[in-house]
Amino acid sequence: MRRTATDSIAPDEGDGLPGTSGRPPGAKATGPGDRSGPGRPAPGARSRILRRREALAGLAFVAPMLVLFVVFRFGPTLGAAFLSVTDYRLSGEWTFIGAGNYTRLLGDDLFWESLGVTAVYTVLYVPMTVALALGTAVLLHRTLWMRGFFRGLFFLPYVTSIVLAAVIWKWIYEVQDGLLNASLGVIGVGPVDFLGSESLVLPSIAAASAWKGFGYSMLILLAGLQSIPREVTEAATIDGASGWQRFRWVTLPLLRPVLFFVLVIEAILGFQVFDAMYVMTAGGPVRASYSLVYFLYDSGFKFFDFGYASAVGLVLFLVVLVFSLVQRRLIGRDAD
Amino acid sequence: MATPSTSAERPVAPVPPAATPAGTARAPRPPSARLGLPLLLVLVAVVTVTPFVVMVLVAFAPAGGQTLPGAFDVTRATFANFTDVLENADITRWAVNSLVYSLVSVLLILLFSSMAGYAFAKKRFPGREILFWSFLATLMVPFQATLIPYYILVSELGGVDTYWGLIVPTLANSQAVFLMRQFIVQLPDELFEAAKIDGASEWRIYTTVVVPLIRPVLATLGVFVFLWHWNDFLWPLVIGQSEEMRTLTVGLATLEGENVAINQIMAGATITVIPCLLVFGLLQRYLTDSIATSGLKS
Repeated sequence: MRRTATDSIAPDEGDGLPGTSGRPPGAKATGPGDRSGPGRPAPGARSRILRRREALAGLAFVAPMLVLFVVFRFGPTLGAAFLSVTDYRLSGEWTFIGAGNYTRLLGDDLFWESLGVTAVYTVLYVPMTVALALGTAVLLHRTLWMRGFFRGLFFLPYVTSIVLAAVIWKWIYEVQDGLLNASLGVIGVGPVDFLGSESLVLPSIAAASAWKGFGYSMLILLAGLQSIPREVTEAATIDGASGWQRFRWVTLPLLRPVLFFVLVIEAILGFQVFDAMYVMTAGGPVRASYSLVYFLYDSGFKFFDFGYASAVGLVLFLVVLVFSLVQRRLIGRDAD
Repeated sequence: MATPSTSAERPVAPVPPAATPAGTARAPRPPSARLGLPLLLVLVAVVTVTPFVVMVLVAFAPAGGQTLPGAFDVTRATFANFTDVLENADITRWAVNSLVYSLVSVLLILLFSSMAGYAFAKKRFPGREILFWSFLATLMVPFQATLIPYYILVSELGGVDTYWGLIVPTLANSQAVFLMRQFIVQLPDELFEAAKIDGASEWRIYTTVVVPLIRPVLATLGVFVFLWHWNDFLWPLVIGQSEEMRTLTVGLATLEGENVAINQIMAGATITVIPCLLVFGLLQRYLTDSIATSGLKS
């Protein structure tokens, strides 16, 4: 009996609302409306007290997290929207300037440049990562030999930090003595300045990030592959489909929702890129790797232009929101 | 990265429910596939591991002697880079900071999120639905988008360059709450009823019924939170401004920027990655299974 990761999937599926879950209809008498439930004659007053006590306990248990969320999640989120329509600076003084920051963004070449860099980076990073993830997932799915070992090994880079990946890969890419150029030298290809060339810097950083990040998508895709009923692929085999045909026409369509999920998650991650560029290139050469979050970081912590940086943050939020909505659409449609 | 602070946390992967448990016999494969695929596996594995191997080799090579995997001279291996980097930089202090940041966050997030998860799963109180969904909605907002107000808030409260300024804002972790609720909701109500009939207080029910039952999910989440915080970069970079308040990742990045020998940087990198590897080595199966099932993402 092969234990798959998906055997124990999705704690309480199909549970839309918190209130409806784990509670067979009419089983408990605590809900409003089922006071007259079977075996619970408890008349009005007492059950009202009990319910109030339960509500108080619930609130008390949520309280610490609630305080944290109000102060450190909801607050900053509203704060970001507020700051983005002010010229708030380090001094703490501010005036309301309406859409001022946004019109300024529209005319700021640096903003458009960073947006372009981020888009190109994402377009490079996502296919690299997902291809690697899908390739390794299929490999692991098809091979039983030491599967656990290889799965762990491919996942290894994911548990490290991007900073670590950046430090190591920066050295691998080095023109002098870097691992890659030394290896290329052996086959007679002259030293390539991976991080110093405007055209190569984004693919190089994307490759390093893909190395660091593909393990997560690999596991999700592997779980997806393992959830495809074997009968389906077996039927295709009996019908005479080749390995590739089976993959293209049977596996891939069934894997589509999982694949969309992974694509969007990685796209969102791609758009938030910062750490790798900060460590590997400091945005260079000539801003060829100057991403949107880098622009945000500089606006805020180099020029202390907090209002302006918050406007950039809102742009980032909108992009991520669009990605998420597209994902919901696509997966929703797929589920039909 | 990730961490509560970097926010690409996403709760649930749309993995379809498990299909027929595969007890069926596998069709015999042609010999080419039987050999080709494992070979390919090994090849990809070698490429995946090479950067780590390079890191360790450079860390152990004598100063100035950068090295390639093939050209590493074992007889000249040395610990000097480690001792040097420990002397030159404040690495021990940074490691302590990283440990404090990670461990305290793990403890507090486990405590608060399991309490909230219990309430969301098993208690009825006004506003429950709205609160739960508003917690979840914060997943949509990338951390970077709110970085500035976070910073202003914490600096106004006097939290720059302090441990609490580093830790407390990252505790509002919606993924943790979500995971806890999903797990606790599955526990049978009868357990809590029974405890209540025995006259146990709510806090007693939480500590003696809930906590022991959710140990597996506490362990899983604990490991993730540890890794998220240990590897976090942007928030510690912004909030730890003095050299003494840097975490290991931030320290490593600044070493990289300064004129430190590559052998020492790689020694520092090796030190940084050891706790991750330990945690990972001990809990590999656990960790990978839970990503596949719950889609936990930093």
